Parts: sequence; C-alpha cells; structure tokens
Amino acid sequence: MIYTKKSPALLIIGLAMLLWGWLNANGSLDDVQKSLQRSAYSDHMKVKEKFDAEFRVAAEIATAEKKPAPDMKMPKSKFDEAKDFQSQMCYIFGGIAGVLGLLIMVWTPREGNADYYLSIFPGMAYMLLIALIVRWGLDPTFANWGRDAQPALGWNFATIFNLNYVVLGIVIGIVIVNVFKIPAWAANGVRTARFFLKTGVILLGALYSATELAQLGLISVAMIGVFVLGSIGLVLYMGRRMNTGNSMTAVLSAGVGVCGVSAAVAAAPVVNAKAAEIAYTIGTILVWGVGCMFLFPTIGHLLGMGPVQFGAWAGTGILNSAQVAGAALAFDPNGIETLKVAEIFNITRVLFLPIVVLWLATWYVKHEVGAEKVDLGKVLFAKFPVFVLGFILMFLLSTLGAFTPAGHYQGKYFSAEQIKEDKLLKGKETRAIEGELARLKEPAGAKALQDHFKEKAINIGQRHATPEDAYKGLAELIANKKVSTREQETLLAAVGKMKGLDAVAASAIDKASKAAYHNSKTIGAFRDWLAWLFSIGLIGLGMQITMAALKQAGGTPLIIGGVVGTVKAVGSLIVVLLFIKEFI
Amino acid sequence: MSEQKFERGTNLSIFVSDRREDLGSLVFALLIAIGIVLVVGK
Repeated sequence: MIYTKKSPALLIIGLAMLLWGWLNANGSLDDVQKSLQRSAYSDHMKVKEKFDAEFRVAAEIATAEKKPAPDMKMPKSKFDEAKDFQSQMCYIFGGIAGVLGLLIMVWTPREGNADYYLSIFPGMAYMLLIALIVRWGLDPTFANWGRDAQPALGWNFATIFNLNYVVLGIVIGIVIVNVFKIPAWAANGVRTARFFLKTGVILLGALYSATELAQLGLISVAMIGVFVLGSIGLVLYMGRRMNTGNSMTAVLSAGVGVCGVSAAVAAAPVVNAKAAEIAYTIGTILVWGVGCMFLFPTIGHLLGMGPVQFGAWAGTGILNSAQVAGAALAFDPNGIETLKVAEIFNITRVLFLPIVVLWLATWYVKHEVGAEKVDLGKVLFAKFPVFVLGFILMFLLSTLGAFTPAGHYQGKYFSAEQIKEDKLLKGKETRAIEGELARLKEPAGAKALQDHFKEKAINIGQRHATPEDAYKGLAELIANKKVSTREQETLLAAVGKMKGLDAVAASAIDKASKAAYHNSKTIGAFRDWLAWLFSIGLIGLGMQITMAALKQAGGTPLIIGGVVGTVKAVGSLIVVLLFIKEFI
Repeated sequence: MSEQKFERGTNLSIFVSDRREDLGSLVFALLIAIGIVLVVGK
C-alpha cells in the first residue's frame, strides 16, 4: 500500500510559512502585529522611549566633547522577541515543509518505510499551520475582544468561556472535519495528534515541584485525594447505571475527578476513548467551570470564608484550572493568598493522575473483558501507559532541580542571592520605609497592622504573624536593601498592601518582594513547548470528531458531569468549613 | 502479502501499538527536555 499522496499541499504550506516569516522579519506585518500583541507592543514603546532618551543624552555629550555620534543599539523588547520567534519558527518549519513538499512532488513512492514516514509530514504541517493561525491570530484576537468588551459587560467573556488555543483548536478541528473533510494528503499525518498530546502530558510534569506541595499538610492532601478518587468512583457508578459506554464513562471520570484537558487526554488511550468522548468531557468541565466561577465567590462571601478556606474550596471543587484561578481572583482581587492556595490545591489533583490512570486501566479491562478473565498484574503491565511514567519522571527531575532551582513553583522561585544590584532599594525608598516603621510602632499603627494580618490570614509557620514580626522584617529590609528569606517576603508583601501606607514605602516593599522572585527561562521554554504540542494535538483531535460521533455520545455525559460536579462542590465546601482553618 | 506487510498503524495513531506510541512520545519528550536544558540552560 502506498501512503504518500502526490499533492503540492505540503510545498504550498511551506511557502506560506516562509512568506509569513519573511514579511514579519522585514516589518511589513508590524501593523497587524501591533493590533494582535497589544501588551508586547506597549512594552516595545516603553523600551523605545527609554532608549531614545538615553541616545539623546549620549549624543549631546558626544557633541559637547566633539566625539563621533555614539554607536548604540536599541535593546530587544518583548514585541521584537515575539516577532523574531515567529520568523525563526516559520523559516525552520517552512523550510523543512518546502523541501519535503518538493520531494513529494518529484519522487515516485514505493512501498516501504520511506513512503510511510514521508506520508506523515503533510498532515503534520497542516495541523501546525492551523496551530500557528490559532496561537498567533485567533487566540490574541479573542483575548483583545474579551478585554475590550469587559467595561461594557463587567466580565471578560474570553477568559470565562476559555476562548484560548485549547478550545479554539478543538472547535476549528471539528469545523474542518465536518464542513470541509480532512484532505487525503493529510489523513495519515493527522493520526499523529495523540502522539503530540502524550508528549505534552509528559512535559507537564516538568512544570511542578514537590517542595511547594509539601506546605499543604496531610489533611489537605487527604481531602484532595478523597475528592479526586471519590468523584471518579461516582462517575464510574453513574456511568454504569445510565448505560454510558465504558470508554466515555472512564474518560469523563478522569476529567471530572482530576481536572480538565490533561487528565482527559492522559486517560483516553488507556480506555480506548474516541475523540468525541474527550471533547464531551472537556465541554462538560468547561460548562460546569463557568457556572462555578460566578457562584463560588458569591457563596464564599455569604459564608464569610477566609482566603485559605476559599482557596482550598475553589481548588478542590472547581474542575478546570483557568476557572479555579478566575474564581480565586473574583473572591479576592487584591490578595495573592487565595489564588496561591487555590492553585496549589488545584495542582495537587494533577499529581493523582498516575493513580487514576492505573485505576481506570483496571476498571476498563474488567468491564470490557469480564471480571473473571482478568489477571490484574498482566493488565497493569500491558495497559499502564509509559507516557504517564514519563510524567512522573519529569516531575521528579523537576523536584530535584534538574531544570531550575529545586523548590520552584511553576517555574517561579525565590532567591535572595540572585537579586541584581539595580534591584536593591535606593536611599529614598529605605528612608520612606523607616518613616513607616516608626509610625507602625505607635499604638494605632500596631493595631492596624494586627488587624490587617488577621484579615488577610498571614501566618508565619503555624502561627499568626504579629506586628513584632513586621518590625523585624522591615528593619532587616532597610539594612539589607532586599528581602532575605521567603518567610520575610510573604510577611512584607502583606505589609506593603496595608491601607494608608505611604505610597513610596508601599511601592518600595512591592519592588523588593518582586525582585526576590525569579522566573525560570527553562520552565518557560517547557511551557511554550507544552502549549505548542497541546495546540497541534488538540487540532488533530478535533479533526477526528464528526457530528455523527457527537450524536452517538448523546447528552448523558453532561448530566453525569453536572451531578458529580455538584456533589463534589457541596461536599468539599462542608469539609473545608469543618477542617480547613486558616492554616494549611 | 506485501500489502499486508505495509498495512500499519492503528485508527488513531501511526504507531502499531499504544506502547510504541508511548515510548515514542517519551523519547521525544526527553529529547525536548535535553534540548531545552542545553539551549536555555538551567
């Protein structure tokens, strides 16, 4: 059988990418890029203004000293970097596609490996081309529309409905397969979608580190475990009762139990799930998450929950990561404590993924083959997905500090040693803090400080922070011109957010706090790869979802997801109120 | 016979089995990780 279809498609895709790269590099697309990448362009203008001012001064000095004009080059802004990245990517992949496209045109394929592997490239390039359009065009366009409509609507529809590359990619894939059909030349390559998704799940492990999770404590980890495994059990039970297919039930249980896209993708191959079933699971999670984002903050305020309690509830009860963050910010727009707790709870669910996959593999085989015929050891050996072991391997490597300093959290890490000279506090700033320190030591100041710590639930280890802790921290900040420990940073960041604090002192404390946190470029690169792999994979996944398959799956998954989601939200609320106090 | 030999991959994958696809993605992920560490640094 000959797999490679003689078609100019790959050559045309390659040339289109090269053209975009070239137009982008020579500035012809700057107007389009400005409107798409607003925040990067605003950074570009700031860098340019700063450079122009420095250049003017240097030129004036050179003129006064009768020296030649200075040879200065403007540093690259985020906008320049984004454009360079696009051009480089287009040149590399456009070049490869062009060469292979030419080869397909001139070569007469014969049965064999060369034909089989060459036939994959047009479909892969097709998915990549759509991924480029989604990530560089549609994703920022929807984000801009969401922000533009926010003043009128009062909420950002693009964030709330998750109109990012994940959803847009799947939707475009579905539209292509149902309206235009997958072209014959792309058919074989589109089947690589699952391979890209699996690679993405493995790389997901690199984003997390166990150190941050160690803060949670046993009760919290047990609570997360109970809710993850409990909701999976409930979905499996309901799925059997309502006669939803085994693969649909299993993939839905992973999505509802753990969280979102990654879990659905990780569980899908183990239970032979169809693309439409993954799409249903993602749809159910998103619909449920949108409702929770509006409801949770209101209920949290009505019940007078503290930041830690609400964070724990949102991180356990809401199914999708983006909406967990949305609800935490809606509850406490100015505090990071709620968001941080919510995210840690949310991420801990992901780490249950290997256990869940193991469970579902066993469950699926038992129900498909029949319990009496199953040898558990054999099933585990035959079915346990190696790529989930890859996820654990990456997580362990990340925890051990193979990619970035150990103890990081999604690539962010604390290091007082790495604070650059220009980020140390200046004389004017330390003087402002000295003034505030004296004021806070007075009875009225001490009371305000105490109330603020109580309201924001700021803790040092297992006790409440006190004004004395703040005095000590501020004195050390003045002496060292930087924060020295992570504990001190948490405390001072809280002090910096106090009402009535002198503006210069507040901004100095904020500056010192931010200077101690560093963003790992390595983890940033992992995140970029992950986004591209998921983007390509989800477009390919969408291309396997036909309307007939969606109809076949029916509306039962939505009902099961809704019932289990409600049980989980109410149950976790009760547990949080009973057991989670202000400490985690 | 030759048609049989070159009929390969599964419906959803270019690989003949899930295990092979898993191993392929593991190798690919490790190559990406090594590449990132070498190019971007730690």
